[in-house]
Amino acid sequence: MEAIIDKPLEKTAPVAFSSSGFRQIFTPFGRLSRQNVVIMIVLQVLITLLIWYTTSNGLIPKPGNVASAFGKLLTTKLLLDNMLVSLVLTLKAMLYSIIITLFFAYTSVIPFFKSIAQFIVKCRYLTLTGLIFIFTLLTKDGSALKLSLLVFGIVPFFTTSFLAVILNIDKQEYELCKTLGYNNWQTLYEVIIVGKADQVFEILRQNFAISWLMITMVEGLSMSEGGIGSLLIKYNKYNDLTNVIALQLVIFLIGLCFDFLLGSMRHWLFPHSKLKQAT
Amino acid sequence: MMTAHIKDKTLLQANNVSLRYGDNIILRDINFCIKDIIRPDMQQGQVISLIGRSGIGKTQLFKILSGLQQPTGGSVTIHDGQTVRAGDMGVIFQNYYLFEWRTVYQSLMLAAQKNNALKGNEAAMIEHYAKAFHLEAELKKYPQQLSGGQRQRASIIQQLLKGSDFLLLDEPFSGLDVCVLDNVTDLLLQVSVSDELKTLIIVSHDITTSVAISDTVLIMGNEAGKPGATIKKEIDLVERDLAWKKDIKKEKAFIDTVEEIKACL
Repeated sequence: MEAIIDKPLEKTAPVAFSSSGFRQIFTPFGRLSRQNVVIMIVLQVLITLLIWYTTSNGLIPKPGNVASAFGKLLTTKLLLDNMLVSLVLTLKAMLYSIIITLFFAYTSVIPFFKSIAQFIVKCRYLTLTGLIFIFTLLTKDGSALKLSLLVFGIVPFFTTSFLAVILNIDKQEYELCKTLGYNNWQTLYEVIIVGKADQVFEILRQNFAISWLMITMVEGLSMSEGGIGSLLIKYNKYNDLTNVIALQLVIFLIGLCFDFLLGSMRHWLFPHSKLKQAT
Repeated sequence: MMTAHIKDKTLLQANNVSLRYGDNIILRDINFCIKDIIRPDMQQGQVISLIGRSGIGKTQLFKILSGLQQPTGGSVTIHDGQTVRAGDMGVIFQNYYLFEWRTVYQSLMLAAQKNNALKGNEAAMIEHYAKAFHLEAELKKYPQQLSGGQRQRASIIQQLLKGSDFLLLDEPFSGLDVCVLDNVTDLLLQVSVSDELKTLIIVSHDITTSVAISDTVLIMGNEAGKPGATIKKEIDLVERDLAWKKDIKKEKAFIDTVEEIKACL
């Protein structure tokens, strides 16, 4: 989307504010200059804050109160400690999940493993809540329970995304391997493992939101270890809506940071992915 | 006067090749033979044009010849009668496909490493071909950064490095402008004389361009009352003294041959 908005205009329109160009914000496929995009976003934020300010009553905190709580939260050790707990757990879960996903996705081209991969994909319809008891019996402590639940929750989504990448591989990629005299294992290595390595980062980026969503849920299962999820539950319990929204804002911003970080890492490690995106 | 030459050993033989999908017959009774053409005092490869209308089954035959698809019946053999397999032929696809995640140099190295004859000299050969094909400055680039012509050259070098005697080209002239077209035909002629056994099979519906650089034309088409396409006619351009000439397109005999081919389609 960013490319559609920014790229062609850099060539065709001046960077300066243009009222005629600004009219394009309501035109289908309209193209805006970078400056007009910034103005538009600022206006949208201001309108949102205005609506929030005018519609909020005694129960819903006003933007100023949330901003003040957000500022205070950022300076507390409480947030840092809980955030670190959540981040470590999420990263651990994502690491295990990607290892499991890659194993089943790569081996899905082997008939024996294909059905297993397809079963994992279907597992995304299972609810975690219904499996908590089984996982409690299978794990030794709260930490292992949270990690295993997260991994179980993430893997089906990762696998679904990665299998879609494999299914959509251009037939010519396989044919080129064959014409170069590659056997099936060499083709698997070149086309799927090396060729789609950049996609692993893209899948991580796209599915980070899912793991971030689940973390708040699983942390509620073992609150003694802390974490953003347990903090959120505590604030909710005492109807401290101002801090709930401030914490949501923190969660949202961390999510955006990871989104940017994973996207940048993908482009840095695999320069062709940036070219692919630009074309 | 016909150019001095002899036709020596068989390089490729298609025997009763047929292809069908269920009851739908796509190809039938495909028979032709490509022999090594020897010219005195020079290295001369073979250039064969496979001409046919769109949708006649050229691409299917292309895939069978390259070993990427198995025929329903018959066989394609090369050299000493061995059945062709994927990897035996160098294949250049219509859109000059290259691995998008590899730089040009990496792609060429992958191909060179598959050629035992180049063992230890892979890098030197890549440099040699890159220089010959004016692609030195592009070796570190990714395919997305190349122009269509550069992609094509990289694709051809890749298959040359792989070292196969046969080079199959699917619609190499498709979508090229006049200037690039001349460069491509020069390039193919250059490849055809790079080795005595080098054999180019060009699948195209651009009759004039492909016939102008060929020594043999195979015309694919349907015969009345018979389902499936076959080789309707084989024209030996050497016998007609229409091969290996630079400005052949202007000669009346050439124009007549092109008309003859068109009438046959």
